[in-house]
Amino acid sequence: MSDEAILAEPAAISLRGVSHSYGAVRALVDVDLDVRGHEVVAVVGDNGAGKSTLVGVLSGVLVPDAGEVVVDGRETQLTSPGLARGLGIATVFQDLALCEDLDVVENLFLGQEIRRGPMLDEVAMEREAQRLLAQLAVRVPSLRAPVAELSGGQRQAVAIARALLGEPRVLVLDEPTASLGVTQTAEVLTLVERVRDSGFGVVLVSHNLADVQAVADRVVVLRRGRLNGEFDADVASYEQIVAAITGVAPPGEAAR
Amino acid sequence: MAGERASGGSQTSLREANRARIIGAVQHRGSITQIELAGVTGLSTATVSNIVKELVAAGVLQTSPTSRSGRRAQEVSLARNLGLVVGVDVGEREMRVAIADVALKVVAEQRLPLPPGHRADSGLDRAALLVEELVESVGAPIGEVLAVGVGLPAPVDPRTGVVTAPHILPGWAGADVAAVLGDRLHVPVVVDNSANLGALAETRLGAARGMTNVAWVTLAHGVGMGLVVEGRVVHGRRGAAGEIGHVIDVEDGPECRCGLHGCLEGSIGSAALAARLAPTHGHLALRDIVGRALAGDAACTRVVGDAGRRLGRSLAPVLTVLDPDVVVVDGDLAGAGEVMLTPLREELNARTVPIDPGPVPVEVSALAGQARVRGALVVALDEHQVGIPIGALT
Repeated sequence: MSDEAILAEPAAISLRGVSHSYGAVRALVDVDLDVRGHEVVAVVGDNGAGKSTLVGVLSGVLVPDAGEVVVDGRETQLTSPGLARGLGIATVFQDLALCEDLDVVENLFLGQEIRRGPMLDEVAMEREAQRLLAQLAVRVPSLRAPVAELSGGQRQAVAIARALLGEPRVLVLDEPTASLGVTQTAEVLTLVERVRDSGFGVVLVSHNLADVQAVADRVVVLRRGRLNGEFDADVASYEQIVAAITGVAPPGEAAR
Repeated sequence: MAGERASGGSQTSLREANRARIIGAVQHRGSITQIELAGVTGLSTATVSNIVKELVAAGVLQTSPTSRSGRRAQEVSLARNLGLVVGVDVGEREMRVAIADVALKVVAEQRLPLPPGHRADSGLDRAALLVEELVESVGAPIGEVLAVGVGLPAPVDPRTGVVTAPHILPGWAGADVAAVLGDRLHVPVVVDNSANLGALAETRLGAARGMTNVAWVTLAHGVGMGLVVEGRVVHGRRGAAGEIGHVIDVEDGPECRCGLHGCLEGSIGSAALAARLAPTHGHLALRDIVGRALAGDAACTRVVGDAGRRLGRSLAPVLTVLDPDVVVVDGDLAGAGEVMLTPLREELNARTVPIDPGPVPVEVSALAGQARVRGALVVALDEHQVGIPIGALT
């Protein structure tokens, strides 16, 4: 394994010149975004900066007016959620989309059940669920507990585990720590690090700068739909990032 | 009763002193067999057995059957229902909180990644919330917490608990951690440098168990050292003893956060290693560098080995001065094992006087990244005076 081989590792997924408008409102303007494996890219910005629109585009829910996604050197259009998943982009939305009265295993495999002949293979699904949750060091009271009985952090973990079942390249997390207490935030942030260390690329969309700086490798700032700075999360100060978010001062020298 | 005790003469006071010695020894070791107790306290096995029986009846100690070298033995620990202790380890980039019973068995723990340059106000707030929520999660009221130990990655004045090197941890400079957390949680709080706590835990519970002179080095985001000399943690004048990360490694080198130039931390801290690899490898976390070095990546192996050599250069004079029983290394970089340890040993051997029967052993922490938070639990337990309930002894 030579050093050059590692540098040449291309982005798992790249957005090129993506724009999206709601009528006359330009929500995203000419946005480029690279996400590599083993990397947490945080996307931050004020309300209305375009974060949710970007999540929509990445997940295939919103079809952009212009721009494309580059996967494996091939340019494609993200025109549907199924296509996005097929390209290896898994998204966990803020509402998590879990079924409250179904148990953990049922939620993990909802819509992607393992079958043996005409029957559901409950044993295989339970085994796979156990393996996945153990790999992520996620603790739930029971695999057969209804999701309604889980804490906020545990629900987030189940939703992330479900997204990882399809072996995606990139996991998109939309505000994963919003409305969580500090213990549950701790669980989710530790889980994000573990997902990254397993080799996945992670796009972490959040307005909580402390959480973002705790786990991100890079921080990308959106302002009024445009990119307004990119920072090395280990080096950039809180003040520099806030300046880029608010546009109060021009981004510092760390911005590239 | 009180009169009898006052005039009881040597017999009673001797018995009281022996009880205190046994409680102290059990508290010190977490759990210990009766045979070992006799050895540690110098009391006869019959006396130990009698006093243990008495203290078990008083609800202070508990015993459980165990085996030592194939023989049955009685293991003695403090009674679990005496309460809980809490350890908080604040690192450069993460906070760990652990809750243990008085036998130092961890019953709950949590880890929170922290942003770079974090500050005391939000850090203490989150620490207090984590402690409260974690104590609640084990079904105990906060009143059962006997004491809280806190470790900070900077020199801490042992008398005041305040950070005495303001440039090393600027966000925490001047913060009265013990007062803020104590007021919030209504329990005694002890604060110390986290490398000191790591050294303490390693000596009581880990790779240096039973040893009296230990140099404990942590290699992660920052570089630090805790020293145990003749069985005691060395704090120095203002808690800055052992700051090996700020020994000069490169004359007139780059400026360090501490204000000096060319510090060892500026050569082998995680930021320095990542910066050297950035041109070829892009952005790497320290655990990525260690993982790739173990997988055989040439540049990462070189950088990790070089870190071991540079550490050896700065650590050799420490060995010459103190001649410790063991050097223990901890932190993400210690995970690289021999890739880092072999160059470290070579450098130490080349720079220290040969002493019979051989060089100071260099070992990886046996506490798997938990040394500092376990040390915080140990100081919390040491802080608490285990008393015997009045009237429990007849």
